[in-house]
Amino acid sequence: MVTRTEEEEVNRLENQVENGGGGAWEYLCLVHKLKLRRSDLVLKHGLSILNDSKKRSALGPEEWTLYEQVAVAAMDCQSLDVAKDCIKVLQKKFPGSKRVGRLEAMLLEARGLWSEAENAYSSLLEENPFDQVVHKRRAAMAKAQGNTSAAIDWLNKYLDLFMADHEAWRELAEIYVSLQMYKQSAFCYEELILSQPTVPLYHLAYADVLYTLGGLENLQMAKKYYASTIDLTGGKSTRALFGICLCTSAIAQLSKGRSKEDKESSELQSLSAMALEKDYKQRAPSNLSVLSSTLRSLKI
Amino acid sequence: MGEDLVLDTAIRDWVLIPLSVVMVLIGILRYFVSKLMRSSSQLSDPKIIKEGQVVIRARNLRAGANFIPAKSFRARKFYYSNEENGLLYVPKGQAQNPQAQMFSDPNMAMDMMKKNLSMIIPQTLTFAWVNFFFSGFVAAKIPFPLTQRFRSMLQNGIDLSTVDVSYVSSRSWYFLNLFGLRGLFSLILGEENATDDTQRMMQMSGFGFDPSKSLGAEKDALDIIQHEWTLPKFEQRAGAVLRKLVY
Repeated sequence: MVTRTEEEEVNRLENQVENGGGGAWEYLCLVHKLKLRRSDLVLKHGLSILNDSKKRSALGPEEWTLYEQVAVAAMDCQSLDVAKDCIKVLQKKFPGSKRVGRLEAMLLEARGLWSEAENAYSSLLEENPFDQVVHKRRAAMAKAQGNTSAAIDWLNKYLDLFMADHEAWRELAEIYVSLQMYKQSAFCYEELILSQPTVPLYHLAYADVLYTLGGLENLQMAKKYYASTIDLTGGKSTRALFGICLCTSAIAQLSKGRSKEDKESSELQSLSAMALEKDYKQRAPSNLSVLSSTLRSLKI
Repeated sequence: MGEDLVLDTAIRDWVLIPLSVVMVLIGILRYFVSKLMRSSSQLSDPKIIKEGQVVIRARNLRAGANFIPAKSFRARKFYYSNEENGLLYVPKGQAQNPQAQMFSDPNMAMDMMKKNLSMIIPQTLTFAWVNFFFSGFVAAKIPFPLTQRFRSMLQNGIDLSTVDVSYVSSRSWYFLNLFGLRGLFSLILGEENATDDTQRMMQMSGFGFDPSKSLGAEKDALDIIQHEWTLPKFEQRAGAVLRKLVY
């Protein structure tokens, strides 16, 4: 996770670099360290360092990691020629390296030569069956081709071995949601909540899935997870506030008559409605009428 | 004991300094030799990787158990610790004896031997060399007095009880260098490359690490976990948060 101070540091450096204040190398290092996706900026500033032989040689051995970083960024921006040049330089320096082989396979993938890329990845995996990046690339490639069931297969195979990798769990959860396989997705989100219990994003997504699944029990659980999202975000999550309202009215519809915890829950609902109204008044006054009519339709 | 021993400056030039320089050089040489000998194929067993990952995941479950509904928790607990094919369940007798594992995997034994050889051979050689050339010298004097107990540490190789303890014999100087140069190595060779003998010895004794044991421990810990869903509490907390926000 990126902490707030790190984020501020990145933004500060980005501003500085964009306005020609120098510090490009520090910015690139930070982006690399935090695994951010700022491909366009990395490409622009990385290339300007690499094209300047004086600056480039000042980096020492870090030069080669910069080549790698720029190559990946270039592929992300579809500047395939740049990527090709970078990879060529690396090939010359490290002949037979697996890490460079991975880049070549990624270049094939970026060109859309799926079967060639697939072959390259499988041969890489034959040499080292525990290369996590290659496993993930494979799943990503299947997804890029629109072959979601294959992507699920790859991810499941990967998670069978590397089951503590929460990034893979998250990807799998999102794929399941896109295929409307909510039960499976709920399992993945539970796994994510277990691995990082204080990330509100996962609570929110899990609540969404539970709400979509429907049924009294799931709705009640969804409401609790919306509540925890509100607590973890300090009431800043609009989606969770709406979620509370929706869940409460859905529960009220389902359990007519049998009302045990009605009073308390309706209080939470009216509180969220009020928070929403206040938020809309501050940030989007023009949409306030839409909000109030929506809330009225939920019988709040 | 009344008068101080005067050390010849030649001792400083021909014993003290050469000894330290040689120790540093040998340390660097050993680093590069062990780097060369390190087997390049670091293919590890998928089973070991999986066990490590299972332990992490089970630990997560234990830590975050109260954040998921009871049903989900029970399903996971069963998945980990049922006695048929649970991930954490290790059948009795199947637990691999590390010794046996070592013999069954010649690569592992080879690795161990290489590591040991790169440690022991230069050490014996330098010790023999120091003994042969420099035995019996009083090589240095530390500038503060010490109690008798330090005699065996600082005056190894001099069997005189009348010499003041603050004099250091050459053999002791060798030992001090052997164990004390770690900081220098980490400066020269980079942080994690420091060839640290004491640490290596610890690793050797810790070699009998048994993953199945950690699985068993994790299973036991999981078995005694009481599940208490914290989410209902969050509704009240959310209410409090919103109340603060609205009013």
